Amino acid sequence: MAIPELEAIGIVKRYGAVLANDHIDLSVESGEIHAVMGENGAGKSTLMSILYGLQPPDEGRILLRGVEARFGSALDAIAAGMGMVHQAFKLFASLTVWENIVFGAEPSRIVFIDRGKARREVAELARRHGLGVDPDAKVGTLSVGVRQRVEILKALYRRARILVLDEPTAVLTPQERDGLFAVMRRLAAEGRTILFVTHKLNEVMAITDRVTVLRDSKVVARMNTSETTAGEIIRAMTGRNVDLQIERGAAAPGAPLLEIERLTIGSPDGRPLVDGAAFVVRAGEIVGLAGVAGNGQSELVEALVGLRRPDAGEVRIAGASVGEADVAGHRAAGLAYIPEDRANLGAALGADAADNFAMGFQRDPPLSRSGWLDPAAMAARARALIDKFGVRTASEHGLASSLSGGNLQKMVVARELSHAAPVLVAEQPTRGVDIGATEFIHGQLVAERDKGHAVLLVSAELSEILALSDRILVMYEGRILADVPRAEASEEALGLLMAGRTAGS
Amino acid sequence: MTDFLTPFLMQSAVQAITPILLASLAGVLCGRVGVFNIALEGQMLIGAFAAVVGCYFAHSAAVGVLAAIVATIAFSLILAYGATVFRGDSVVICIGMNLLASGLTAYLLRAMFDVSGTFSDPSLVGISRIRVPALQVIPILGWGFARQTAITWGAWVLVVLIALLLFKTPVGLRLRGVGEQPDAAETLGVDMRRYRVVTVLASSALVGLAGAQLSLGAVTVFAEDMTAGRGWIAVVAVMLGRGHPVYSAAACALFGFADAVGLRLQGQGLPNQLTDIAPYVVTLAALALSHRKRARVAVPT
Amino acid sequence: MSAVARLCPPPALVAIVVAVVVGGALVLVSGANPIQAYAAIVEGALAPDNLPNTLNWATPLVGMTLAAAIPLRGGMINLGGDGQMVVGGLVGAITPLLPVAGPLAATLALIAASLAGGFYAALAAWGQIRFAIPMLISSLLLSYTAVGIVSYLVRFPLRDTTTGLPQTALVPVAARLPTLAGPVNAGMLVIAAVAALVIVIDRRAVIGYELRMRGLNARFAGYGGVRLDRQALGAMFASGAIAGLVGAIVVLGGQFRFIDGALLTPAYTWSGLMAALLAGGEPVGAIAAGLFFAALQTGGFAMQRESSVPRVLTLVLQAIVILFLAMRHGLGKRSS
Repeated sequence: MAIPELEAIGIVKRYGAVLANDHIDLSVESGEIHAVMGENGAGKSTLMSILYGLQPPDEGRILLRGVEARFGSALDAIAAGMGMVHQAFKLFASLTVWENIVFGAEPSRIVFIDRGKARREVAELARRHGLGVDPDAKVGTLSVGVRQRVEILKALYRRARILVLDEPTAVLTPQERDGLFAVMRRLAAEGRTILFVTHKLNEVMAITDRVTVLRDSKVVARMNTSETTAGEIIRAMTGRNVDLQIERGAAAPGAPLLEIERLTIGSPDGRPLVDGAAFVVRAGEIVGLAGVAGNGQSELVEALVGLRRPDAGEVRIAGASVGEADVAGHRAAGLAYIPEDRANLGAALGADAADNFAMGFQRDPPLSRSGWLDPAAMAARARALIDKFGVRTASEHGLASSLSGGNLQKMVVARELSHAAPVLVAEQPTRGVDIGATEFIHGQLVAERDKGHAVLLVSAELSEILALSDRILVMYEGRILADVPRAEASEEALGLLMAGRTAGS
Repeated sequence: MTDFLTPFLMQSAVQAITPILLASLAGVLCGRVGVFNIALEGQMLIGAFAAVVGCYFAHSAAVGVLAAIVATIAFSLILAYGATVFRGDSVVICIGMNLLASGLTAYLLRAMFDVSGTFSDPSLVGISRIRVPALQVIPILGWGFARQTAITWGAWVLVVLIALLLFKTPVGLRLRGVGEQPDAAETLGVDMRRYRVVTVLASSALVGLAGAQLSLGAVTVFAEDMTAGRGWIAVVAVMLGRGHPVYSAAACALFGFADAVGLRLQGQGLPNQLTDIAPYVVTLAALALSHRKRARVAVPT
Repeated sequence: MSAVARLCPPPALVAIVVAVVVGGALVLVSGANPIQAYAAIVEGALAPDNLPNTLNWATPLVGMTLAAAIPLRGGMINLGGDGQMVVGGLVGAITPLLPVAGPLAATLALIAASLAGGFYAALAAWGQIRFAIPMLISSLLLSYTAVGIVSYLVRFPLRDTTTGLPQTALVPVAARLPTLAGPVNAGMLVIAAVAALVIVIDRRAVIGYELRMRGLNARFAGYGGVRLDRQALGAMFASGAIAGLVGAIVVLGGQFRFIDGALLTPAYTWSGLMAALLAGGEPVGAIAAGLFFAALQTGGFAMQRESSVPRVLTLVLQAIVILFLAMRHGLGKRSS
């Protein structure tokens, strides 16, 4: 057997008392596409940042082609042939594509950057690998799919032999995903090695050669993809059998509770961010808003919860027009909102749980009377919600920053659902949340629907949209391209719409 | 126009711009690497004091200038390491530095020279001026530059050099990247801390020069809190220029012009308490008028 | 809190020790005896005979501490205390001279001064809301402007022409704040009442909760329905009102007229801001820090008299405390 391209032996990493990597062994052959799977918090990210030199392991060795490598920084890892595409892209939005790619390794003439040479090299690299990009475009203006190509080019420009792709498909349409897979296969065929970090089973089954599964900071399984099944992998990941189907009855839509008409939000550079969006969400239904991130969903949501004032159009919540109102006005009209960015928008990490649970309720009894708070009522309310939603925290006086991602999300969900508002906007409600918490939150959304509330679910995960929605909207470049009942929707058709292709075009 | 703007007025305007311009260039560099530097006021005060001390003991303006640069760099170690290695909040650190500079210079003034308020001594020599008689004949701009110190000339050359550095060289590209997306720079092996520390320290040399120009350029005296808000005006110039050295220089020129007009009005009998506020009013007006363009750039409050 | 953390001295104490050591070195270098200098500070601040002086100095300083702490609690910084204080001071000096003032002249003057300071500070918040001018900058620029205009008014239209100095006419005796003990006047009670009010609002009122949440995460507060613009106006108004009140208390309690520059020389604004930063805007801690700084500065006068060490040393000590805490403990790390 040939010497493995990359070998990690007995990697241990501790953060204080927490063991993030517990004697992890990983072996990857040259030219292989190797999946590293695990739930959030299983230790994937820690392992990858150690392999890329961003932090040193406490114990263990890394061998590259049989030779021990010690990475003091990312620079050492890059020099040794490692390349990494992070899940959250590490790009400079105000710089051009070529500037992003040559950054840190610029060709120069005397003291100045050799702009001509840099652009030529970038264009040549892009052509050779079939990754079409305009070297002079500002990265901030590019779509997510193109930005990912820039990230891959960055690694290839530095002659990466081993490419780590961290959740690369989370932001792509199914068609873009297929394009990425083609690139991955080509790179592997050239003899490059790809570490594919993901939690999506079907993708692992589709493209990888072997799988290493992590759970609770340990390696729990190593398998050849062709000899395993999705069920076996998921059992390894979760330690139990998980039923991915959500039990739910048929929807019984009633009166429209959330009505959006001709909603438009302009942008500084002309093309509107939201372009005449119009739809309704009725009592007793979940409407899914699908779309690739960055097509105006965030701005649309901001406008309909009152964080941003639309340039034109109308928003009605439970029949009341709230177009000119601020967040307080929207909430008063009957809106609850689970935001995508729970740490920066949905919570104050420096405040305790009781304070976090009180937000939005502080002006009403029982939490306050004529402007004065009742701390006992605040604590009691927090305790009740912690119990009811199973938020794992020491007490209601523990800081929100001490909660794990999943528990923080449960806290936000608990608080927003306790409004018992007729309209619920849930934005990426399960991103970065483990499977157990995801099941719980999905169940709560369905329960909300069954109570006769209107739920708008905004998600970049098509599987989540398909599993929960009664009706599906697709947003592309600020416009609502389609409004289809769940029964008539397929992943492929939605994927095409997400890429902007309507029927007949 | 030329009746209103006399050669003397233009000369004093250009002279008044120099410290603000140098400080704002330093502010631009710090802002580009992501350090919000509002300690320019304190840095400048330290520079002005050190210049007078150096000059007093060595009887040489050059030594004074050198002392200003060295002292300001040493003082700026607080910001350079405080905002990076020690992870302090740059706003709090800068406010602390401004007060430290004010207290320390006042303390040392009493301890070293046994005076309070202002210090002036015959042994202090001012920075000599470069005379370019040929410029005298060009109205307005020529008048302004006909008799200025090397620091003033250097400041305007630096505007161009810093623009070239930022936008045409590898170091400039990395500087801009470190400020915009530090973690992206880190993943490409560009050490954010090192870039920040070096940039803060190097730029503080410019503020030291600004201080020297203040205490040894126009006059040869040190007065407590003699910077009188110039460092803050430089902060505003950085903001108005949106981090571009050339635009920031233009903003500085606007303030200098306002200053000169104030001086002129004072000559015509307006009390100086009112003309002194001209730069602040102009600054506020400029900020209000430019708000649409700045709206897209997030500024910490 | 872990056992180790409990055993460690509180960070503020460590910072004070560091400042004392560095300041002592500075005294030593300038040829004086640091032990004597510090002894003079302690004696000058805390000896029974000197305590009223300390309290008298603490009144405006704690007032300006509260003025700085309110916006800071919400993650905002008001650098314009000087301007708001002189506006209040001038209004406080003029109001009792008006014929309408009558027997309630002092009360009326304090109210008018608070309103003037409050509205002037709210101007900075309005600039941020309407024109996106960062409040940090605009509050300071407006302060320079106010100081210039007030200085002009005191030197020209409002000058007491019977003296050669830039100052307004003496306020009538009836409008002066009654003396309590030595230099201490009723202004101390007013500031104490304001301090108590600020603490209660911070701990128990809905607006206190909302401001605190804004300070921890402004986006979260906005998301929860807090009206951020209105809140910024309110916090700045309250801050400026206290600054204006301080100006009027100094005028009506001790100087009995507005003297150009007299309100600014002691640098109450900056000491108050530092005290507020020390406690991250939390009012009880800020008041404690303000009292500490007041004692330090009062003691500084005694030190200057007895050991010829300039009293401005105390400003250096304060700055070192702030810088040390900012670095070691991420003091003032604001989320917004």
